Amino acid sequence: MPKHRLDMYTEDSDEALTARLKCDDASALETLFNRHYKPLCHYCALFTRDFAAAEEIVADLFIKIWDNRHSSDILNVKGYLFLSIRNLSLNFLQKKKNPVDSIEDITIAQHVLQDMNTPFSVLSGREANKRILTMIDLLPERQREVLLMSKIDAIDKHTIAQVLGISVRTVETTLYQAIRQLRNQLKIS
Amino acid sequence: MEDRNNKLIAAYFDKTIDDDGLAELKEWLESSEENQHIFSDTIRILTASKSFFVPPVKQEASWSRIAAHIAATKDKSADLTNPPAALVDETLIPGSASALQLYNVKNWLIAALTFFGISTAALVTYQQFATKQVIPVTYTSLSNPEGRSSRVTLPDGSIIHLGAGSKISYEKSFSGKKRMISLDGEAFFDVKHKADRPFVVKSGKVSTVVLGTSFNIKAFSAAARILVTVNSGKVGVMTNVKGKSGVVNFLLPDEQLEISTADGVVVKNTINASAVSGWTENNFVYYNTSLKDITSSLARHYGVKFNIADEQLGKIKLTAKFNDMPLAEVTDNLEQLSGLSFKMHNKEITVLRHLQKRRAKMK
Repeated sequence: MPKHRLDMYTEDSDEALTARLKCDDASALETLFNRHYKPLCHYCALFTRDFAAAEEIVADLFIKIWDNRHSSDILNVKGYLFLSIRNLSLNFLQKKKNPVDSIEDITIAQHVLQDMNTPFSVLSGREANKRILTMIDLLPERQREVLLMSKIDAIDKHTIAQVLGISVRTVETTLYQAIRQLRNQLKIS
Repeated sequence: MEDRNNKLIAAYFDKTIDDDGLAELKEWLESSEENQHIFSDTIRILTASKSFFVPPVKQEASWSRIAAHIAATKDKSADLTNPPAALVDETLIPGSASALQLYNVKNWLIAALTFFGISTAALVTYQQFATKQVIPVTYTSLSNPEGRSSRVTLPDGSIIHLGAGSKISYEKSFSGKKRMISLDGEAFFDVKHKADRPFVVKSGKVSTVVLGTSFNIKAFSAAARILVTVNSGKVGVMTNVKGKSGVVNFLLPDEQLEISTADGVVVKNTINASAVSGWTENNFVYYNTSLKDITSSLARHYGVKFNIADEQLGKIKLTAKFNDMPLAEVTDNLEQLSGLSFKMHNKEITVLRHLQKRRAKMK
């Protein structure tokens, strides 16, 4: 069984790649996977706060895409991918409703690990980030989501608008609301 | 117009700003000092937001899992119970009729995948996931009655001093990515440093996370507050009250976090940590503590009961230090410090005013 060379596909659009899936072309899936893996993991981690779980959820999605390759036609691949991850992440959180368990999911370990792995002299910069991240955690859900999403590479305002089902203008105003809110909190503290 | 400035700052941060925008931003910055503060605050916020994201580490492994799934479902229509004769490899099955009966679906799958040239790495990953669910988990519990404290060494080399009337439990092999312990009561933890395996103590709604430090946790489920005190290293404490996760509080040596279990209110104290954890060596230090609290603490550690007849007596404040003393010596000390009488009978100690003092008052 001849395996197509991966570099043949890097120029292809998302939609061209998903079309190739119908020919049972696993290399097309792999190209899609490599292209979107990192931003999808980041978006997922936004909800789950658990990067390991995020990586698993993203892999599960690609398995699902493969399984459904013959029966579905994806019109806008990027929007579909991020929307799917959003739904899968929210499902994941639903299942973790137990307060004791959800503590595990929250990036305590991540905070502590990131803090402790840096030499003392660099800590002050990290400390500042940690403080602000904690404030971001306490923002209204929608503001938090838009703010963090805007900082994921490969996601632009149009993708955010599409995934959240709002206008680009609303994305911008929500983003600036979040920033204003955080600035006020910084002034107080 | 504030939105315009935010837009420019965000574009500047993302490096998508054009020349006109840059000129406009510069002019706005130069027009007032407050604008410069707004600018730097916004940059800090955007920097922190970006720092939330950590690069994924398992991209290859994730793809292997997907590839294995693709391979495994490739010939789903094939008859799994009747393997083609060509695939009955002598190296897989020793040539005997009874051995052939052992030839199960799993072996056929291995043979099929080898035939189609899928890498064995992918196969191993698939098998790991296929059998993932089956491993049972056993927990070890340790529980101390009042009057007894003990020391246990965990499989990772960490040491727990478990206090009187306290209980811990943990997964027996302690081999997970997170080293998890449940605690109800008081314990002192001396945690072996492992950079990639955080040590997590769950005590009710409070989680304490470290990589390698020493700290004391007092978290009796019946009590109104949880106390986390740090002796060495740095500790992160997270509370989760009313289903919403709270902020992470970081503690340094000689710092203590006091969490109210009713409303999650948190207070940070500076304290002598070795006094708090002194109980592990039978050393008890009480600074300006009420007699009632002192006797509650001693009751639990020594496994006795204190009866303070007069409520007013319980409110007397004392400062006392007991270094590895037997109970009789402790009560002697308390008698001298408080001027009260401590009479012990059958593991119960009654606290009264001295008769002489009463007589003196009557005169």
